Amino acid sequence: MIETNYSKEFEALAQYYEKSGGDVSKLIDKKVVSIIVSGDKIIGRNTLPGVKVEAEQIENGVKIFIDIADGMNIENPIHLCTGYLKPEGTQTVLIDTRVGKNSKVKFLSHCVFPNGKKFLHRMISNVEVDEGGQLSYEDVHFHSEDGGVIVEAFYNARLFKNAKYNNVFHLTKTRVGKLKVAMKVDLQESSSAYLESKVYEKKDDVVEITEELNLNGSFSSGIAKTIVFSTDNSSAKIINKAYGNAPYSKGHIECNEIVKGDGVKVGTIPELYVINEKAELTHEASIGRINLKQLETLMAKGLSEEEATELIIRGMLK
Amino acid sequence: MLELKDVHLKRNGKEILKGLNAKFDDGRIYAILGNNGVGKSTLAYIIMGLESYRDHSGDLLFNGQRINHLNVTERARLGITLVWQEPARFDGLTIKEYLTLGGRKKFEDVELLETLGIVGLSSEYLNRTVDNSLSGGERKRVELASILLLKPRLVVLDEPDSGIDIMSTQMIRKILKKLKSKGSTLIVITHREEIAKMSDEAYLMCDGKFLEYGGVDGVISFYRSRCDSCNHVNRPEEGELND
Repeated sequence: MIETNYSKEFEALAQYYEKSGGDVSKLIDKKVVSIIVSGDKIIGRNTLPGVKVEAEQIENGVKIFIDIADGMNIENPIHLCTGYLKPEGTQTVLIDTRVGKNSKVKFLSHCVFPNGKKFLHRMISNVEVDEGGQLSYEDVHFHSEDGGVIVEAFYNARLFKNAKYNNVFHLTKTRVGKLKVAMKVDLQESSSAYLESKVYEKKDDVVEITEELNLNGSFSSGIAKTIVFSTDNSSAKIINKAYGNAPYSKGHIECNEIVKGDGVKVGTIPELYVINEKAELTHEASIGRINLKQLETLMAKGLSEEEATELIIRGMLK
Repeated sequence: MLELKDVHLKRNGKEILKGLNAKFDDGRIYAILGNNGVGKSTLAYIIMGLESYRDHSGDLLFNGQRINHLNVTERARLGITLVWQEPARFDGLTIKEYLTLGGRKKFEDVELLETLGIVGLSSEYLNRTVDNSLSGGERKRVELASILLLKPRLVVLDEPDSGIDIMSTQMIRKILKKLKSKGSTLIVITHREEIAKMSDEAYLMCDGKFLEYGGVDGVISFYRSRCDSCNHVNRPEEGELND
């Protein structure tokens, strides 16, 4: 639970956690596994049988080990709250997660940096999902409106036979600042993965996203999807990759970049590599203004172009 | 209500609409009939003022006011709306958000559910998304529900029956009646006789022109006698239209 020395820090963090869409009550619920990181300290933690959490302080941050025992079905999502309330500094968060055989777990992670003016957050997540295990990881970010937050988030996952993995990154409610996301997954036999990044960038925000599927096992399958809405003078470079290395593996990559504003610079690079002739890879990409038919459908109901755009984007970035 | 005066439209040097003149009066239902490719949907888009269809010549008058220069929103705010033959889909938007335009239109849940009921959708649909998870028919029903809630002064329905199973023709008729009873003027593009027969008047289009106009039965008889046996595909020989 919350360390007594840090109750005020927790309160400050909690208000932004809620703004980012998190439910603070879950962070203090004894039936929910939770980990709360502020700066380079763990200020709160709760565990349940079958979930082992270890943490240690490192330079400018924390290292966390999470182990889900075999055969566990963790009913409530594990809540992670990572915050940094000072305007300047660096935070490093290293998370190693192992999901045991046939275990099922979901993570809800909220990263809040509401005051960042010159702040770097670096996160490296290494995940292993054992045979038949399932892991779903949803990472939602909430940054300052200053544009001075730099985030580097690297997600590496290894999936064993029949494992399932969902990794979703959302940064849609605040300014981005500078963002680099790299998701990489190695899929063994009959495992499946879904990678998704959704970002709404404004002013001079900069986004670089790479999603990579390595379909190494037969009958493995994966989807890597990116949606970026770029406005003002923002820029984005999206790379979606898939390697079809095994027979009957199937991969699909998709990138939708919607632009609004003359100063926007966006680009997407799809990379598909079929190494095994029985692998099947597909891709879809679109860059440009909002679909005119969608826009005019809502305008025909009386919405202005701005209102219609806002509603369409709201749906897409959910 | 709405008047078309000598409306022409060209695409790639080819004339698509060749001088349409028509009058649509308050509170009446008009059917637009004709084979595929004669310009019926193009006419619908011109009335709504879609961006790619604003380069026509001739005039559109709405209640005596020239509306050629008005964009889609401005026309919608006058009370004009359009139901596309294949309505757009929206990732992430729930049917409730769509019907209330993201909360801008205030409706009680009771009214939303009642309207969904009219178009044959259960209450569970309110939280479904208006994306590819809906079938073509379901998406069409959602669109019809949205028009019922909108209560437009003039609605152009481009084949409201397409994609909806034949058993639901009764439902479409009920919706059209309801819209009419609320005072809307309806322009209905259709290939289905039982839908057309609800109209007060009908226009028959061929090759970008109105070929015949009048009571529905007369226009349908004309279509059967002339168009069914016609050996041109929307390309009548010179003078044939005036025979």
